[in-house]
Amino acid sequence: MAKIERTQKLFLKSLKEKFRGQDIEGGTADYYGFDGIRQSPRKMEFLKASRAIEMDRGIPMYDPERAHLGGIPLGQRQLMTYEVSGTGVFVEGDDLHFVNNAAMQQFWDDIRRTVIVNMDLAHQTLQKRLGKEVTPETINEYLHVLNHAMPGAAVVQEHMVETHPGLVDDCYVKVFTGDQELADDLEPQFVIDVEKLFPAKQAEALSAAVGKSLWQAIHVPTIASRTCDGGMTSRWSAMQIGMSFIAAYRMCAGEAAVADLSYAAKHAGVIQMASHLPARRARGPNEPGGLGFGIFSDIIQANRKYPNDPAKASLEVVGAGVMLYDQIWLGAYMSGGVGFTQYATAAYTDNILDEYTYYGMDYIKDKYKVDWRNPSPEDRVKPTYDVVNDMATEVTLNAMEQYEQFPTLMEDHFGGSQRAGVIAAASGLTCSIGTGNSNAGLNGWYLSMLLHKDGWSRLGFFGYDLQDQCGSANSLSIRGDEGAIGELRGPNYPNYAMNVGHQGEYAAIVGGAHYGRGDAWCFDPRVAICFADPALKFDFAEPRREFAKGAIREFMPAGERSLIIPAR
Amino acid sequence: MKVKGNMAYKPQYGPGTSKVAENRRKQMNPNQKLKKMRDVTDEDVVLILGHRAPGAAYPTAHPPLAEQQEPDCPIRKIVTPTEGAKAGDRVRYIQFTDSMFFAPCHPYQRTYTECYRFRGIDPGTLSGRQIVECRERDLEKYSKELINTELLDPARTGIRGATVHGHSLRLAENGMMFDMLQRSVLGEDGVVRYIKNQIGEPLDRAVDIGKPMDEEWLKANTTIFHSLGDSAYRDDKEYIEYVQRIHTLRTKYGFLPKE
Repeated sequence: MAKIERTQKLFLKSLKEKFRGQDIEGGTADYYGFDGIRQSPRKMEFLKASRAIEMDRGIPMYDPERAHLGGIPLGQRQLMTYEVSGTGVFVEGDDLHFVNNAAMQQFWDDIRRTVIVNMDLAHQTLQKRLGKEVTPETINEYLHVLNHAMPGAAVVQEHMVETHPGLVDDCYVKVFTGDQELADDLEPQFVIDVEKLFPAKQAEALSAAVGKSLWQAIHVPTIASRTCDGGMTSRWSAMQIGMSFIAAYRMCAGEAAVADLSYAAKHAGVIQMASHLPARRARGPNEPGGLGFGIFSDIIQANRKYPNDPAKASLEVVGAGVMLYDQIWLGAYMSGGVGFTQYATAAYTDNILDEYTYYGMDYIKDKYKVDWRNPSPEDRVKPTYDVVNDMATEVTLNAMEQYEQFPTLMEDHFGGSQRAGVIAAASGLTCSIGTGNSNAGLNGWYLSMLLHKDGWSRLGFFGYDLQDQCGSANSLSIRGDEGAIGELRGPNYPNYAMNVGHQGEYAAIVGGAHYGRGDAWCFDPRVAICFADPALKFDFAEPRREFAKGAIREFMPAGERSLIIPAR
Repeated sequence: MKVKGNMAYKPQYGPGTSKVAENRRKQMNPNQKLKKMRDVTDEDVVLILGHRAPGAAYPTAHPPLAEQQEPDCPIRKIVTPTEGAKAGDRVRYIQFTDSMFFAPCHPYQRTYTECYRFRGIDPGTLSGRQIVECRERDLEKYSKELINTELLDPARTGIRGATVHGHSLRLAENGMMFDMLQRSVLGEDGVVRYIKNQIGEPLDRAVDIGKPMDEEWLKANTTIFHSLGDSAYRDDKEYIEYVQRIHTLRTKYGFLPKE
């Protein structure tokens, strides 16, 4: 390892804005004179709203000047704003809690309400068993019927209740295939066009992987998915698919062949976004605990939009991943409370992780001649112990030195878990992008944790003892024939299952290996294609920008109920 | 059952050629007497801890352990109980927050040091705080050593049961580590006094814990690597290589390292 010069520090602008008028390299500050929560416009908004609610309902609510620490409210130090990394948008920390951020909610809604269903099985049933003709025209007709039925409309029976289109306007179905001839014959509003949406090299690889098979990308209504759970998605979808086949192909509603269509839509031909969890953590499919890191990296589309910047593509996965896995999954589903947001936002605010990661990119270019801006498997470094140790050590030491040299940076990441996650993420990403091997990335993460702990004699909360001090032993030490280890692991992998500040970064380390190689996908090409769809409410190519829009209240979500509630 | 009196293994107390590494070894090694820096009394320690009023009896097991039928336990036969355990004391705690700006001790270092020097303890190690729990009368004895020796600096070490925020923040203009409860304050005479106990309850009288150490002493005695303190981590190559070696061995062989 050897320090390299890097003059452009990406976090400086944020620090200067956050600590305006102060010396960001200075070691002292004023405290205790900020008037508590009254320094924050957002907290004051909370206070005002709470007073109105209390008058209305007669039950006390938000009362920080009395209830917090027996009369000592938050804000004895400066309450900082945050720049959402890579966006230039400064937001209040409160607005990055998923309850306060409609974009964050929609991000998860859009994943949970999605399944991908194969059409070939159904077409074989129709053609071979029933002798019906399947042509581009009949597929178009079926898709027209399906886009009527999927939001919750009837297609066969008489006297049925139906859903209000204004409540389910985000629900639709498109198809994709690797057969460009077939894609060209289908009506364009129904097609996710791989050739148009992806860079040529990625499109070619994706089309070859999907081949001639035809797949439906299905998004059931957000409002239905929110009322039920992720396990509902495939059931809602399968019922409407079955009814639409009956209607579009004039089948008998009760004939035995319908069972084949149902079986294909519910089981044989369906790809859930997440697998179900064991009884002890019981959740159905399409819930965050079963969403593997490889699939998650395919859901995030930054590598499609920025194929020559694997660092940025990975950082977008970090931002999206910590929001879902830390803020929503561990923070709410598993733990409860509001503290996890503070951990998670460190990884996608103020360009700090970005700076450390790009330092790693400069380092692998300088020392190993990796042309990281031109992703390719050809010039990746062979992932030996020495290489991983060297890359992870240098990136870790540099990050620690940045915190030391900029006390405001240390104050920004005031918790050890925040710093540990960010430093290890930069180390892991450097190793995975530099070697094109996700397991080497994970191994670099764990060396970073050990170095950090010994350098500062502290790491994160107790959980970091649990997983980060034994992680060396479950990375790069596993038989090669159990390949794609990081890709197949997920938030319920036993050693990963409990700790905030890890899972989003692991997903990015997995993604980074593939982005660094120039791969078109990480785990499943169909998932990568499905989330390229520009008609989705959330733009999965720019999750951090979308979260920022949510924070400044400019993101329009789906699933709103204003049509069916009294006007205010 | 007989227990071997002397271990064949001689503790090395960690690697490293730097001053920080040397300070760490010194704190951990129970054969090295920690330098006494101040004289906080027994009563003052009890006040800061806040677990019982000074002079009050220790709440203990009832009926007394001697009157209770002890189970036939082999561990009890081989382990000599501490005074607190013998008396059936409650398990209570002291918790520290150590500023990353060159405080003399830091969380893992505290835990290692306590494990080498004290008996019957249960330490917990985080980034912004370190807690040690044990029987109450043992705790008071250990706390006195933790407070009165070179392990503590009045300005950059905090005794905080809850609301520990401050270890990584810039120091206040007067050199004190941030504490939103301001349990300790720097007087005009340059002496730091605890006006609240570790959990933040106001004390009837202030407890004097002495003057903060100067910057030079802190940098010479700290156990944290810091590039602005003439103790950059990367300069201690032996330390870095040691951690890399541990990592590589764990990767290759799990927790059965061999070379």
